[in-house]
Amino acid sequence: MNQTKKLLIIDDDPDFVAGMKSILVKANYEVDVAYNPKDGLQALQTKPYDLLLLDIMMGRGAEGIMIARKLGKDPKLRNLPVLIITGIREQMAFLFPGQAVHPHFVAVDELVEKPVEPKLLLEKVEALLKTAEARKGQSK
Amino acid sequence: MRPKHKILVIDDEEVVLDSCTQVLSAGDCHVATAPNGTDGLKLVETFEPELVFIDLKMQGLSGFEVLERLRTNHPEIEAIVITGYATVSSAIEAMKKGAFDFLPKPFTPEELRLITRRALEHRELARQAAALRREKEMLRENFAAIVSHELKSPLGAIQQNLYALIDELGDKLSDEQKDRLVRLKKRVDDLLNLIHSWLRVFSVDLSKLKENFRPLELATVVARAVDIAHQHAIRKSVEIEVAIPGDLPMVSGDEGSLTEVLVNLLNNAVKYSFANSKVTVRAGTQDGEVFLSVIDTGVGIAKEDLEHLFQDFGRGRKQPEGAEGCGLGLAISKRIVEVHGGSIEVQSEPGKGSAFTVRLPVARADMDVVTNPSTGSQT
Repeated sequence: MNQTKKLLIIDDDPDFVAGMKSILVKANYEVDVAYNPKDGLQALQTKPYDLLLLDIMMGRGAEGIMIARKLGKDPKLRNLPVLIITGIREQMAFLFPGQAVHPHFVAVDELVEKPVEPKLLLEKVEALLKTAEARKGQSK
Repeated sequence: MRPKHKILVIDDEEVVLDSCTQVLSAGDCHVATAPNGTDGLKLVETFEPELVFIDLKMQGLSGFEVLERLRTNHPEIEAIVITGYATVSSAIEAMKKGAFDFLPKPFTPEELRLITRRALEHRELARQAAALRREKEMLRENFAAIVSHELKSPLGAIQQNLYALIDELGDKLSDEQKDRLVRLKKRVDDLLNLIHSWLRVFSVDLSKLKENFRPLELATVVARAVDIAHQHAIRKSVEIEVAIPGDLPMVSGDEGSLTEVLVNLLNNAVKYSFANSKVTVRAGTQDGEVFLSVIDTGVGIAKEDLEHLFQDFGRGRKQPEGAEGCGLGLAISKRIVEVHGGSIEVQSEPGKGSAFTVRLPVARADMDVVTNPSTGSQT
């Protein structure tokens, strides 16, 4: 657990990314960023990450969902924990902040709403990493 | 170059067909003709005209019948009737049935050209109006998506950076500076909540909640709501007391939205309470319904404000210090309760406090039918 965890953010809003990345960097995570789905998928293929933070509504549509679906089908990436970040509360109608929502695109995922409070963000990231770790341990 | 206008002439007099063809073909029109109604209607399907001239007095299918079928099947095609032994009354009858105009026989080439041009212009305007209507409709339907993305995204980015800055600059800023950042954050939060409320009121289809209805223990809903409203209450030293009988029947509903209703009521009660007072949640059954009351001993609501209370943006006039809100909470709550087949009402006396009561139908033993038939149609 001492090794620095590598995270990837895929989100097309550079300002939002900056606000999120600095929180994660301060918490000693190594953070890469992709500002579009194409770069994001390429990064996932070329470098091993411990967790993905994925904006679900990028560009004109739900391109993030496409990525999540692709991950779910990829045997190598299926077990990568994903924190899905959405700006559209309507899609998670009537949920209260902080409550765990699992979209089940991949084995370990959860959904939070933009903007994310630092405490909540770090809690979720940590929890997802832990869950993924535990799953890995089980399957060995 | 724009394609030629397509015009169909249906008349059993060959001389009319010939002269129309001659006059209109000289302009920018492509003319087809049919000697009777049956052939004419067939030609409508293949030729796809923009404008059809229909002789009212024909052998076989009458002009009126042709007009009626044309209006029904192709409302986008303009129709002009040609009236033979012109009676104004039949022309008016035809226009009532949707003809754009009438052309009395005999007519001059100039009359024919003029009426044709007017009809084509009318069609173009109608087409544009329809396109605008469609656009407006789409805008309304997509309002939620547009607003949430165009307004919420930048606000979300601002807020995310405020979060980060407050976190990072914690040891570098003076207390006064920190306080300002925190207040900024609060303002952005309010703005985000406001947008969220608007979206809820204007675009979320609450009737969809019915798909998630299931039997619920109100005690669970109350516990969740109290948990959420608790924070707010502590800050004002308001105690929330819950008195719910253990044998309360189940209701059928959507847990999340009912919790939201109760949170709204509790937050309101706390907001309008005096410090160190008590808010009580009481439940029971009455006339076959489950009721849930949130009672405070706060400022109360003036009689003239009561009737506007559940309307959009309706807030009581008497606002205690520091009570913000956009006045949509109760409007949303009312809609949610009504989708559940229930009702919401308020009793209040200025200076003594208010009691908001939600009534919900008891869940039926067989949970297949979930709405209360007596009030189920309200939206």
